[in-house]
Amino acid sequence: MTNEFNPFEVAQAQFDRVADQLKLDHEVRSILRWPLREFRFQIPVRMDDGSMRVFFGYRVQHNDARGPAKGGIRFHPNETLDTVRALAMWMTWKCAVADIPLGGGKGGVIVDPSTLSVGEKERVCRGWIDGIWKNLGPRIDVPAPDVGSTPQMMGWMMDEYSKLTGQYTPGAITGKPVGSGGSLGRTEATGFGVVYTIREAMKHLKLDPKHCTASLQGFGNVAQYAAIGFIEQLGGKVVAVSCYDRNDKTSYTYFRPDGINPQFLQSITDQYGTIDKTKAKESGYLIEDGSAWLCKEVEVLIPAAIEGQITVETVRCLSPRVKIVAEGANGPTTPEADEVLKRHGVFLVPDFLCNAGGVTVSYFESVQNDQNFYWDQELVLHRLDQKMTMAFHGILAMAVEHDAYMRDAAYMVAIDRVVKAMELRGWV
Amino acid sequence: MAELNAFQNALAQFDKAVAHLNLERGIVELLRHPKRELTVNFPVKMDGGDIRIFTGFRVHHSTALGATKGGIRFHQDVTLDEMRALAMWMTWKCSLMGLPYGGAKGGVVVDPRTLSMRELEALTRRYATEISLLMNPQGDVPAPDVGTTGQIMAWIMDTYSMHLGYSMPAVVTGKPVEIGGSLGRNEATGRGVIYAVREAMKHLNLPFEGATVAVQGFGNVGSISARTAHETGMKVVAVTDVTGGAYNPKGLDLPALIQHATATRSVAGFPGADTITNEELLALKVDVLIPAALENQITSGNADKVQCKVLAEGANGPTTPEADDLLNAKGVFIIPDILCNGGGVVVSYLEWVQDLQAFFWEEEEISRHLERHVTKAFRRVVAEAEKRRIDNRTAAQVLAIQRVAEVTLIRGIYP
Repeated sequence: MTNEFNPFEVAQAQFDRVADQLKLDHEVRSILRWPLREFRFQIPVRMDDGSMRVFFGYRVQHNDARGPAKGGIRFHPNETLDTVRALAMWMTWKCAVADIPLGGGKGGVIVDPSTLSVGEKERVCRGWIDGIWKNLGPRIDVPAPDVGSTPQMMGWMMDEYSKLTGQYTPGAITGKPVGSGGSLGRTEATGFGVVYTIREAMKHLKLDPKHCTASLQGFGNVAQYAAIGFIEQLGGKVVAVSCYDRNDKTSYTYFRPDGINPQFLQSITDQYGTIDKTKAKESGYLIEDGSAWLCKEVEVLIPAAIEGQITVETVRCLSPRVKIVAEGANGPTTPEADEVLKRHGVFLVPDFLCNAGGVTVSYFESVQNDQNFYWDQELVLHRLDQKMTMAFHGILAMAVEHDAYMRDAAYMVAIDRVVKAMELRGWV
Repeated sequence: MAELNAFQNALAQFDKAVAHLNLERGIVELLRHPKRELTVNFPVKMDGGDIRIFTGFRVHHSTALGATKGGIRFHQDVTLDEMRALAMWMTWKCSLMGLPYGGAKGGVVVDPRTLSMRELEALTRRYATEISLLMNPQGDVPAPDVGTTGQIMAWIMDTYSMHLGYSMPAVVTGKPVEIGGSLGRNEATGRGVIYAVREAMKHLNLPFEGATVAVQGFGNVGSISARTAHETGMKVVAVTDVTGGAYNPKGLDLPALIQHATATRSVAGFPGADTITNEELLALKVDVLIPAALENQITSGNADKVQCKVLAEGANGPTTPEADDLLNAKGVFIIPDILCNGGGVVVSYLEWVQDLQAFFWEEEEISRHLERHVTKAFRRVVAEAEKRRIDNRTAAQVLAIQRVAEVTLIRGIYP
């Protein structure tokens, strides 16, 4: 027994809190507090030096009342069963919030992928499938990439699955490279999804996006397309982004009061996500402290980097002009900072609604795989917009009806939908 | 005259239509018989601890066009002959609506109102298991019918999925939206009725806007038909249900009437309307009459009083064969039941397609597909009737039977 932070206990505690609000009865809770199924298996791999190493793989299917389990596979040296359980449970809520017909799952391998050669990595991926393939499939459980895994790895896994089943089955894994069964629009999906929810939030708050400015944290995939979408689709202005500078081992905010040009910044960003400071400065960008993005005089804040960024300390400099916080990242706001945002009357678009564009296009990918017919990018993004807009309004309606904070409303909608499916199926 | 049972009735209709087709005897014989019939007797443990044995059926009439489709009926008067008739009739309906489906029907001899929820669930799950010999998403896809509900379909889906080891919503349609049902299914039949009516008015060069409508029955089909007619600009002047009726020659306020009917479970006593009986409603001088209640409402006894221009059969079999002849002689334009209320099975089909592709459409897309299916079927029926100089009902049957016969020959007689 350790006293360390246990993510599964946190996930259960979050669930218990909403279960109390929804007055769920004991039977329902006892099903949802634990995963339906958990697999742990050995992955013996021949290493390049001729030795054999045994890795451990996991797959957890938290709930599949609404459809096949869905969730990523993490390659991480500190992976634990409890982490996987927590993330699987969280996927159940996320798919329910997005209202896509999928349940929640998660998988993992205890390994630091950067220590593996390409060949070893491929053998670990294939070995993971060998250990679990009978419990995967387009109608059973569909994995996807996550921390430490890449589209190439998904391609190997899809190939291994197809070999074992004896038929080409791209719908068994998503996040594959385009051309190997991947979906167009996936690169833009999460960032544009963030923008669609901001657009709806602005409608609700009667804000004119053309007169709104935004400040973003991060300049990875999500932040880049959130910035592009905010400017091109909403007609707003983005004044700041931030990134981790791998040379200086610290973060900077790139601030330009007249508005940044995301395409220009993309062109001076290296493959690890570091923006070229010198070139940025030459083009009139002010280089500031990594936390400065949060203190800007803007209507919209978009944390799109990592978790735990908006805390009681960092939120102190929050401008009274801020009307919307849209969580492009997972868990960027601590519970204490949530209270501050509530006090200031800031409208929150909570993470598992705001960044659900990723899992939604993952879902579109498996739909296209199953029907063996591929959509153009315009159709993918159009359908993404429809889904995100519907999801947003489902949660907004719950928030208005119960006078609830958007994060609580999202949990309520999610759990309510899963419970409804279980009731209809006669599980409870 | 000795009363014909339902299956003999279906065969008589079939024989009448087949007379217009030049089919070889063997094919006719093939189509006169259901392909397979399953009877199951199974136990259910009742709340009192005793065991009761129930009898259930599943009949597949034809699989030429694809998986069989047809409802499951829980009713104390269910018989094997009734299942046969309804299964055959589903074959024609699916064929006419252009769906890749054959016809089926199933049922259990039980009055579901006498069961507790637990008993109903146990009976449903046991029956689903018993007929799982025949039921699967590519072979036979049931749906709700008299005495069964979305919840019962959910139990069937769950039972099948449990045996399979993973979820298979496509095994049954008419499910609640939360577990793979389709948007617009609830409205499907009623909307389909009005799409067909609109085509009929166009065909007859009658104005649709402001045309007067009377609706018999105010259940799902009746109320949705009336509401859709109202929303699309027609004037609904009268409705009746088992409790009574509401009549206003200037037009009824449908949203208010639906509220009234929901609150009081009756259309009677609606403020701002006169009362009207069923018999009076059927005899109203209106542009469109929509019987949307039970079978055998328009008979040789009252057909001469019918004054509508268009008779749109929202219900199944509301017009007896004798009445049919009288109405045709009077020049009433009949939209026969398998065309008029085929919207229900079309959206069932769309639900199945969405389940199979695991991608769900917005209601707008569902309506568009529904409209296309109904409109297309309508135009084919009218053209066939004119070409052969036969009535619409016979034309619909002829088209339906012809397609199944053709496909049977294309596929060839195995082996």
